[in-house]
Amino acid sequence: MAASYWESTQRKYWTFTKQQLTLERKKVEEAERNLVTMYPLPDRRLLSIYFYHQLSKMARPLGIRQQPLATAQVYVRRFYTKVEIRRTNPALVLATALYLACKMEEYPQHIRMILAEARHCWDTSFNDISKIGECEFTLISEMNSQLILHHPYRSLAELQTQFQLTQEENALAWSIINDHYLTDLPLLHAPHVVAITAMFLAVVLKPTQSGLPVHAAGATNALQALGNARNSPTQGAQNRVQKLVDWLAESSVDMEAVVECTQELISLYEVWESYNDKTCKDQIAKFVKARGLDK
Amino acid sequence: MFAGYQTKKRVNERYKIVGFISSGTYGRVYKAEGRNGRVGEFAIKKFKPDKEGEAQYTGISQSAIREMALCTELSHPNVVHTVEIILEEKCIFIVFEYAEHDLLQIIHHHNQPQRQAIPARTIKSILYQLLQGLVYLHRNWVMHRDLKPANIMVTSSGKVKIGDLGLARLFYKPLQSLFTGDKVVVTIWYRAPELLLGSRHYTPAVDLWAVGCIFAELLSLRPIFKGEEAKMDSKKTVPFQRNQMQKIVEIMGMPSKDRWPLLTAMPEYGQLSSLATGNSRFHRPQGLDNWYQTCLKNNQYPPGAGPENPGSDGFQLLQQLLEYDPQKRLTAEKALLHPYFSNHEKPSENCFENSKIKYPVRRVSQEDNDIRTSSLPGTKRSGLPDDSLIGRPAKRLKEG
Repeated sequence: MAASYWESTQRKYWTFTKQQLTLERKKVEEAERNLVTMYPLPDRRLLSIYFYHQLSKMARPLGIRQQPLATAQVYVRRFYTKVEIRRTNPALVLATALYLACKMEEYPQHIRMILAEARHCWDTSFNDISKIGECEFTLISEMNSQLILHHPYRSLAELQTQFQLTQEENALAWSIINDHYLTDLPLLHAPHVVAITAMFLAVVLKPTQSGLPVHAAGATNALQALGNARNSPTQGAQNRVQKLVDWLAESSVDMEAVVECTQELISLYEVWESYNDKTCKDQIAKFVKARGLDK
Repeated sequence: MFAGYQTKKRVNERYKIVGFISSGTYGRVYKAEGRNGRVGEFAIKKFKPDKEGEAQYTGISQSAIREMALCTELSHPNVVHTVEIILEEKCIFIVFEYAEHDLLQIIHHHNQPQRQAIPARTIKSILYQLLQGLVYLHRNWVMHRDLKPANIMVTSSGKVKIGDLGLARLFYKPLQSLFTGDKVVVTIWYRAPELLLGSRHYTPAVDLWAVGCIFAELLSLRPIFKGEEAKMDSKKTVPFQRNQMQKIVEIMGMPSKDRWPLLTAMPEYGQLSSLATGNSRFHRPQGLDNWYQTCLKNNQYPPGAGPENPGSDGFQLLQQLLEYDPQKRLTAEKALLHPYFSNHEKPSENCFENSKIKYPVRRVSQEDNDIRTSSLPGTKRSGLPDDSLIGRPAKRLKEG
């Protein structure tokens, strides 16, 4: 983990407690009470899944990889803690977040290419790079130019060597990290805590059996193992898991945080079962069209 | 989107522009005073739009994004402090703390009207502070990539601050090879040999080579390797900087495989041998020790060991900074531990301490004081351009 995380703007300004985050969002919603009642939206996690699908669709033809996608997701999440979503055109916000993230992650894309992909992926009528250019100003301004992110992938790479994770375990942990961007975890916990959680889940779940995506039931087993670790560090569980559990118990890692992350992921996988692409799309389209936000 | 971008802060409500300082490829820098309760002096950098005279949003350049993000993230006494960033109607302004001097201006002052050496104590303090700033940057995975005297600020209280992060970038795990992003970096006189030889994966060591060049320049008051830049040809291929490499070899001698094992793997290695043909100075290079002794003598540093003379410790430090092999070159951290900084006298936190020399204040011009509506950035040159004092060569190529 980079020494710089502890002094980072991510830790100082963009890491919240659950209560703080709820309060922030409440403030934003209160200011737009009418809009919020008029245009109900799906669970935030379901929306995040939809956003992720849309971002991936834009990213794929441009060969944009996971890290810029992850950065774009965090930008979108940060932005919507400060600006009520129903006041925006999500298609534009997502395209802009991706455009900005690509520059930050050293994989710059021409603004015209982003515009073309956005138009391809969304039924949207903005057809002008200046829309993205202007939205970029809004995004940067709302984020106070705090654009550098610390992702769990680097911590995972270090853990992989330390614990000699198999290729499958590593792949699974990596995909669990990808999934955590669909939740509030990037705004709640340090990247290394997320990486440890992902590694732990991956080892407990044994990728050969479960495959992808991870299921809630499997993750619940992991939670039990973690519980054992807190209570009596040498009971049950197999060798490999035991080794990890012991290490966790002895390390200075915040166990409560790891448990919280695990729970958050479990509930994501539960909610995922009810995901429906069309519902998200329609409900967004409703306020965008009605309010003329796509013009 | 909704009502479009709404400016929250306005430059002219917060600052009073008192003059124009310089312009460069990036845009223009102004001197300002705080308004409405903000006290003190500031330097405000206004970014040039991507295309001149652009009346609409076209997307912010990657280098401006990098600089904004890094300036926001970083905070160290030896790095120029960013006060705030203002995004106002298609323009980007970065507000910095003001520094009265920079190393280029200080070196210039010692060259005129007649040459007078910079006191050894001042140099030691400058280097010490510069290296502390660099340790901070490198610990935070930031390479500066454009260290040169014009980019090292000095406040009137003698605090040294690294400025202009316009080319800086994070160096952990880049998605693309660093080479593909920006074709060439670092003002040519301060460019490390591995860059001249076409290295694609370079490291923070490039900044330490530049520190070595700056150290040498503070001692001799002239750039140590003053080469002529080879321009890009019409096909936009990056040329081998033959003349710059020659200047280095004339003093340092040819790099060898023994001392720099990866030398033969450098893309431009083949060019190196062709340099030697017909140039006698290659076979009898001046040698850095010779250069150093001559320099101390010419600039009349008092003989003997002591705080008034950079001495043999200074030479060793210089030699270890101007090390061909980037892997053997001192790191910023190791450089700070060098005996040069502990023998005789510890470096002062104020580089002007015990110095009687009075440096002129930064010149600002009055001809362009409207920061919001000023004429096209970068087209006029007045005041004190940051790079033209002693005929600096063109600095950097635009990013591709």
